[in-house]
Amino acid sequence: MEQSRATSLPFTLLALLAAFVMALPMLWMLSTAFKPAGEYVSTGITLLPQAPTLEHFIAVLGEQDLPGKLLNSVIVTMGATLLALLAGFPAAYALVRLNLPARLDTIFLVFVLVIKLVPPLALAVPLYQVLRAIGLLDTLAGLILTYQVYTLPMAIWLLLGFVRDVPIAYEEAARIDGAGLVRRLTTIVLPVMAPGIGAATILLAILAWNEFTYALLFIQSPDKFTLPVYVAGLITEDETFWGRLSAIGLIGSLPLIATLALFQKYLLRGLVGGLK
Amino acid sequence: MPRNRTALVLLLPAAILMAGLTLYPLGRSLALSFFVTEYGFDGARFVGLLNYERLFSDRFFLRAIRNTVSFTLLATLGELALGLGLALLVNRGFRGRKALIPVLVAPFILSTMVVTAIWSAWFHYDFGYLNNLLRAVGLEGVEWLSSPRIALYSLVLVDIWQTTPLVFLILLAGLQSIDPALYEAARLDGAGRGRILWTITLPLLLPHLMLAALLRSIDSFKIFDKVYALTGGGPGQATETLSMFLFRQGFRFQEMGAASATAMVMVAIAAVLAGVYAAMILRGGKEG
Repeated sequence: MEQSRATSLPFTLLALLAAFVMALPMLWMLSTAFKPAGEYVSTGITLLPQAPTLEHFIAVLGEQDLPGKLLNSVIVTMGATLLALLAGFPAAYALVRLNLPARLDTIFLVFVLVIKLVPPLALAVPLYQVLRAIGLLDTLAGLILTYQVYTLPMAIWLLLGFVRDVPIAYEEAARIDGAGLVRRLTTIVLPVMAPGIGAATILLAILAWNEFTYALLFIQSPDKFTLPVYVAGLITEDETFWGRLSAIGLIGSLPLIATLALFQKYLLRGLVGGLK
Repeated sequence: MPRNRTALVLLLPAAILMAGLTLYPLGRSLALSFFVTEYGFDGARFVGLLNYERLFSDRFFLRAIRNTVSFTLLATLGELALGLGLALLVNRGFRGRKALIPVLVAPFILSTMVVTAIWSAWFHYDFGYLNNLLRAVGLEGVEWLSSPRIALYSLVLVDIWQTTPLVFLILLAGLQSIDPALYEAARLDGAGRGRILWTITLPLLLPHLMLAALLRSIDSFKIFDKVYALTGGGPGQATETLSMFLFRQGFRFQEMGAASATAMVMVAIAAVLAGVYAAMILRGGKEG
């Protein structure tokens, strides 16, 4: 664009200001994680720690608490993501490539959309009863199962687009050579879709990693809490555990930030594709 | 024929999961909403529409509806306005904007509970960073979470900070899909910057604005986690949203029938939003 320097300077400054305002709470978290309690429970606005300390990291990692909660979150996230992909991929493939009778595909897609929009709490009471009936209340397996309320529709939605991108000619050629469905899926469709499945995996994992409502409602034993429920407990305790919360926030965000930095291209595409 | 059967087999696992986790719970909620009950159907008493009648004369429920609608409207409009401003700003193309985009998007990547943890500290009356900033420039501290008049706006503020980046991304994608030749032609015809914005940019951006508005209103309508951790619905009922109200009915007071009626009202409202969303997608699919 041919804008004169003079007119674009104020806009550049405005954009920088906006970025600073957006970044400030995160800078605060970064700084608070390294400040001793006496420094952040104050009326100052300095972000640079005067006497930097690792005490909060040592406290949260040394205690029995956080590592256990991290492990629970990892287990639930991996389980929920895997289950969503295992059930979602065949469904997405069938919806795109096979002729379904009587507009079943449209019905199924509308259903997927409706589930995406139902508030999680509106399903919580009956889901609680279902979990109790099958003995999965207060278990991580129960969480993996109920997370499918979110992750499965999301998986199908994302994978639909990626299946469509696989050139049908490849599959036709293999079929003429006598390859059966399973063989075509494993030797052609899945390898071609690999980047898409990677993006879907990351987006599903983020969804499961951040889930709060069902983890709060369906888990009662503190040793099975996931990270968000544990953090919520610290927030509502009415104490100024800000150093610890910031340390946990940093540790809990690192995996997300790292994946985003590594897979930025795929993610933005997947994100926007998943929204439409 | 065998292809049909294969398709059904492939759909089966997903269909079973969705039926068990969504259809059955929805049906059961609908049925339970006509009963007075504490645990499931054992000892339940059929009461017809009584739960619904009680709900709509319950001032806490009406308050929750009002809070949810206010929250949804304020958060959605705020995010649209700020997201649009940011997208227009970044779309102008200045040096270093590539480096700026990750910073502008970052809050959206953080986990909601991490976001909530940061803001719970920022909202602290005595030592919160927000009040420290206000006092540093000579203003009075604000009772962000403890004043019934302000608490809901504080929640809106957190939501705006966290999800404006999503709106920004959608709108930026929209702006970049507009053909630059259109601007060029308008400029040659002597149109000023404001006129170009009103007659070219905004009309062409409308589908993206609609999409962002729908996505944000659907999401903020569900709001629960931030309310739970920051205010618990208080002070009083000042920030109790529908999800929070349902949570207390179902999981604190064990009134399953009444909670199910609330759930059905929420599903009905979500269905209306879903209908608009679906209509948009179907129309978009035909045009594209």
